Amino acid sequence: MNLRPLLAHTKVELLTLLRSPGFLIPTMLFPSMFFLMFAAPNLKSSLAANFSTGSFMAFAVFTVTFFQFGVGTANERDNPWSSYVRTLPASPLYRSLGKVLTASILALSAALVLVVTAHFSTPLDLPLTRWPRIFLALAGGGLMMGLLGTLLAYLVSPKAALPLANLIYLPLAFMGGMWMPPQLLPQLVQKMSPYLPSRQWMEVVWPAVSGDPWKAQHWLALAGFAVAFALLTVWAQRRDESIRF
Amino acid sequence: MIAEVQDVYKKLGRVQALAGVSLEVNEGELLALLGPNGAGKTTLVSLLVGLRAPDAGRVRLGGGDPRQPSSRRILGVTPQNTGFPPALRVHEVIDLARAHYPNPPSTEEILRRFDLADLAKRNVNALSGGQARHLAVALAFSGSPRLAVLDEPTTGLDVESRRALWEQIVRFKQEGGTVLLTTHYLEEAEALADRVVVLAQGRVLTEGSPDEIKRRVGLRRVRFAAATLPELGGVKKVEREGYRYTLWTTNADVLVRELVLSGAEFSDLEVLPVSLEEAFLAVLDGEVSA
Repeated sequence: MNLRPLLAHTKVELLTLLRSPGFLIPTMLFPSMFFLMFAAPNLKSSLAANFSTGSFMAFAVFTVTFFQFGVGTANERDNPWSSYVRTLPASPLYRSLGKVLTASILALSAALVLVVTAHFSTPLDLPLTRWPRIFLALAGGGLMMGLLGTLLAYLVSPKAALPLANLIYLPLAFMGGMWMPPQLLPQLVQKMSPYLPSRQWMEVVWPAVSGDPWKAQHWLALAGFAVAFALLTVWAQRRDESIRF
Repeated sequence: MIAEVQDVYKKLGRVQALAGVSLEVNEGELLALLGPNGAGKTTLVSLLVGLRAPDAGRVRLGGGDPRQPSSRRILGVTPQNTGFPPALRVHEVIDLARAHYPNPPSTEEILRRFDLADLAKRNVNALSGGQARHLAVALAFSGSPRLAVLDEPTTGLDVESRRALWEQIVRFKQEGGTVLLTTHYLEEAEALADRVVVLAQGRVLTEGSPDEIKRRVGLRRVRFAAATLPELGGVKKVEREGYRYTLWTTNADVLVRELVLSGAEFSDLEVLPVSLEEAFLAVLDGEVSA
C-alpha cells in the first residue's frame, strides 16, 4: 500500500468537489429541504422525529453514493483523462479508493446537515450511544447503493445513465420508506416494499435509531444485495471493456 | 531494448486494428511511428502503455508486462489534451502525476521546462489549445521516465509552439531518455527521429532512417499537358488522362529540369504535394515501390 497516490487522488477529488459549489451545495441541502417541507411539520413526538430523521439521513447518503458517485464515477470511464491515469504506475484501485473516501466525506456531511436541520425543527432526541450503530447502518447501505449506481452506469451508455438513475432513485427512496413510515404507503407499494434494497436498508437504520436490536435477516439481505450488485458490476464492466477495448 | 511488441494482433470491435505487428524500441533512440489516421498507431501505443492487452502476440515494457503497474514506473505518457479534470489548476495536475513516481523532478522544474511557470495557478479549462498541449507533454516527463510515449504531441499546434516542444523532446533524448512518438507529419519525424517505422492498415509497411522514409514516401505530383511523354528518370507512377500526364516522383525539381531539357513540347505545368495518406495507399496498392 502506497499512500502517496491515494492521498493525491483524494486531494484531487476533494478539490474538484469544493470548487463546484453548484453541485456541492444542492447535494448537501436537498435532503434537508425535502425533510423540512414534507416530514418536519408532522413530527410531534421524539419517537417520530428520531424515526424520520434516521430515514432522511439514509436518503441523504443514498443521494450521494448512488446518484452522484456510483453513476458519476462509472460515467468517467469514457473520458481521455481516465485513460491517462490508467497509464500511471499505480493500481487503478488508488483512484477508486480516493473517490470512495471523498464520497464518504460528502455523504457524512449531508447526513450531518440533516441532523442539524432536524435538531432545530423537530423534537429530535437521539442519545450519543445510538450513533455508532446509526453510523454502521448508514455506511452499509451507502456502500450497497454506491455499487448499485456503478452497476447501472456500466449497464447502459453514459448518456442514458443519468436519466435512468433518476428514474430508479426517487421510486426506490419512496417505496423503501425513506420519506414516510411504510404503513402510510399505498397498499400495493406496501406489498412490494420488503423486496427492495432500500427497504432492507431502512430495516437496519430504524432499529439503530430506536435502540432496538438488529435482526440478522436484514443485514443478510443488505449483504446479499451488495454482493449481487458487485458481481453484476464486475460482469458489466468486463462486457463494457470487451466492447471498447 | 526498452520496449518490444512481437507479432501482435488486436481487433477493436469489427476492425482488425493490428494484424501482425512487431516493433522494438531501443534504449536511447527516438523512434517515430508514422502513418495515416486509422493505421493502428494509437492502438499499438495503447498496448505498449498497458491500456489494452493484445489478442495474440507479446508486449514487453522494460522486460515486464505493461499491464502491471510496476512495469510502468519507467514510462511517461501524454494524455489526449481534450480531458484534464475540470476545476484543477496546472500545478495540481502535474502534482498528481508526480505522486505516482519514486523520484520525480520538482513541479517548478517541470513548469519551467515547458513554459508553464506563469500558468501554474491557471485553471486547466482556461488554457489555450497550445498551452494545454504543453501541459499534456509535460505530464509525460513528470516522473523522470526512461521511456516517454508521445501520441501525436504537436497535432494542431502553430509552428512556434511545435518547435518549443521539439526542443524539450530533443533535450530529454540528449540526457539519455528514449522516446516513442506517433505522428502523421513526415516533417516531424524528419526533425526528431533516429528511426521511423511506417504503419498502415495495421501492419508495418516499412522502416528506416527519416531520409530513407522521405525518399520512399515523400512524393510529389508533376502535372502537365503534352502530346507525348518524353523519357524521364525517377518517376514512381504515371497517370494519364487524354493529353494530361501526372507523374509521381520523390524529386520534383530534378524531374522538371529533365522535362525542360528533353525539349518536349508541354504546357500547364503544375507541381502538387502528395499527402502521406495518398503516398501510403499508393505503396500499399503496389503502384509505387517503397
